[in-house]
Amino acid sequence: MLFFVIRRVLVSIPLLLLASIVAFILVVNTGDPIEDLRTKPNVPKATIALREHQLGLDKPVVERYVTWLGKAVHGDFGKTIKNKPVWAEVSRSMGVTLRLVLFASIVSILVGVLIGVISAVKQYSWFDHGATTGAFLLYSLPVLAVGSFLKYVLAIRFNRWIGRGDNPLIKTIGESTPNFCTKSKPYNCGFIPSVTDFLSHAFLPMLTLVLISFAGYARFSRAAMLETLNADYVRTARAKGLSERRVIVKHAFRNALTTIATIVSLDFGALIGGAILTETIFEWHGMGRVLVESINKIDPNLLLCWFFVTAVAVIVFNLVADFAYAFLDPRIRLD
Amino acid sequence: MSGSEPLLKVTDLSVEFPTDDGVVKAVRGVSFEVGRHEILGIVGESGCGKSVTAMAIMGLLPSTARVTGSIKFRGEELVGLKPREMRAYRGNKIAMVFQDPMTALNPVYKVGSQLAEAVRVHQTVSRKQARARAIELLEMVQIPQAATRVDSYPHEFSGGMRQRAMIAMAIANSPDVLIADEPTTALDVTVQAQILEMLMGLQDQLDHAIVLITHDLGVVAGMVDRMQVMYAGQVVESGTADDVFYSPRMPYSIGLLGSLPAHAGTLERLKPITGAPPSLINLPAGCPFSPRCPIADSVCESTEAQLVAVNEGHLSRCHHVKELNEMPEPLRLFEGVVK
Repeated sequence: MLFFVIRRVLVSIPLLLLASIVAFILVVNTGDPIEDLRTKPNVPKATIALREHQLGLDKPVVERYVTWLGKAVHGDFGKTIKNKPVWAEVSRSMGVTLRLVLFASIVSILVGVLIGVISAVKQYSWFDHGATTGAFLLYSLPVLAVGSFLKYVLAIRFNRWIGRGDNPLIKTIGESTPNFCTKSKPYNCGFIPSVTDFLSHAFLPMLTLVLISFAGYARFSRAAMLETLNADYVRTARAKGLSERRVIVKHAFRNALTTIATIVSLDFGALIGGAILTETIFEWHGMGRVLVESINKIDPNLLLCWFFVTAVAVIVFNLVADFAYAFLDPRIRLD
Repeated sequence: MSGSEPLLKVTDLSVEFPTDDGVVKAVRGVSFEVGRHEILGIVGESGCGKSVTAMAIMGLLPSTARVTGSIKFRGEELVGLKPREMRAYRGNKIAMVFQDPMTALNPVYKVGSQLAEAVRVHQTVSRKQARARAIELLEMVQIPQAATRVDSYPHEFSGGMRQRAMIAMAIANSPDVLIADEPTTALDVTVQAQILEMLMGLQDQLDHAIVLITHDLGVVAGMVDRMQVMYAGQVVESGTADDVFYSPRMPYSIGLLGSLPAHAGTLERLKPITGAPPSLINLPAGCPFSPRCPIADSVCESTEAQLVAVNEGHLSRCHHVKELNEMPEPLRLFEGVVK
């Protein structure tokens, strides 16, 4: 086991290096970070040259990459174009994204797996047909459509309808109320007000994420369960005289869990990069926004850091998936 | 032979499966009985209804299956029991060993805990007692070092050992009837003999009845007391092992015997039965074997034959029983037949 971890960590180093090279090439070709400055009239050449020097743009690409890498391995991801530390910005955004994604994932996994399992057990029943159709529909809808519909058609009207158009119950913008907890409003700083504020903001984006992602889990769990329900060992379990509930949970579901856990861990790794569209619709300042803004404003260091964090997350959760698999299936050995 | 009251008595059992293409008549009017310490062999090729019969007895058919007739265990009717009521018999009074031991054990649980689970469903014992019983069961099926092997996972067992473990699971609650559905088909020939010997040895110890289902006449040959041959969902011949082996009175049984590689080393070619079994959705009007039968005539093609007594306890479903009786060598019926 230990040997497996060491080997996997060692393998991930060249993987990360390769990822960083690809990311660097992509970022270099995203655009010119000081295009603004160059196109503005009456900017002295010396100013442009100074800025180029500050950002390291006057050096060859390979040298810039090596410099960036040298600092990055020490945890220094440089400054943003606005001269703020990149890591502070990224770690703050990661916190915002994690709060959203973590809750949404847990809910959609629980709901999805439950629906998938019931669909498989009651295959071809009205529940199965309804759930399968509904899941397929939601699975096919773009996030943009679901999010916008929830925000503009349902939430805003609902807030007005209950007479809270100005101080909406279901917040449609941002991850928290600006200046919510300050010295002048100490009563807002307790645990309950902060949680309430978070929930009123998180409700819509979470619902959006749950709606579009539970369907995938439901379909996946249904397929996995149908396979195990038809397995010989489930027939054996029935032949023992076990109750149907025990047959389904202890024998069929326990085996389906192996595949479900793997896909869940892989999915979660991808989500650290941010729910890009959902965060944009609801104006959350998470990792998804970091990506969009850093591309829009051509902010090389910020974009690189986003790539780096995402790559690490994917690699780490691949490892988690392997562990989950080995933990759940005794036939898999990690050495 | 059976005593006063048979342990298991199946009367006129029929099983149908409605499908999109029509109703599949998998089992049609099958009757048999087995008594204590008796072994009944049910023989036939794939799709003849032998496994469906077994699943019907266990109550393990899908809910879409239509089961009619009667299955009586010690006089208690099992057909029509609610799933909850059926569970009291399943794995307890009537147990089953399946064909493929490689997939019949749950890969994620230790062999011992799967055995203990079987014990604890029907007996109120502590975990510790169940585990002790699991070790005892593994010893009964001759797994070496049972006390350590109890903590092995199924993938750490060989095919033969897994089938032993499956048998151990089946006898966990000392059932009265043990159904073995092709118990040796998936195993090496050398292991097959060991498993069969063990099944018989266990029966001597535990005194249960065995229903042995197989397509392999070699398996039933030295083992069963009585056997019945099934074709297209029906019993086509039944009698003692000697009756069916030495004086078969149904061309299908004769064909089965002829396709058995009995004369190893003589370089004699096997004599296959030409053709294929009929579709169970569109059964022919007459005898279902008539399209493949060398002595079939127009009567066979239009009228279904009834089970008639050849001798005491020897039944055959053939219009030509008399002719077969008078034939000098009925076993050579299929030789040189090319249809």
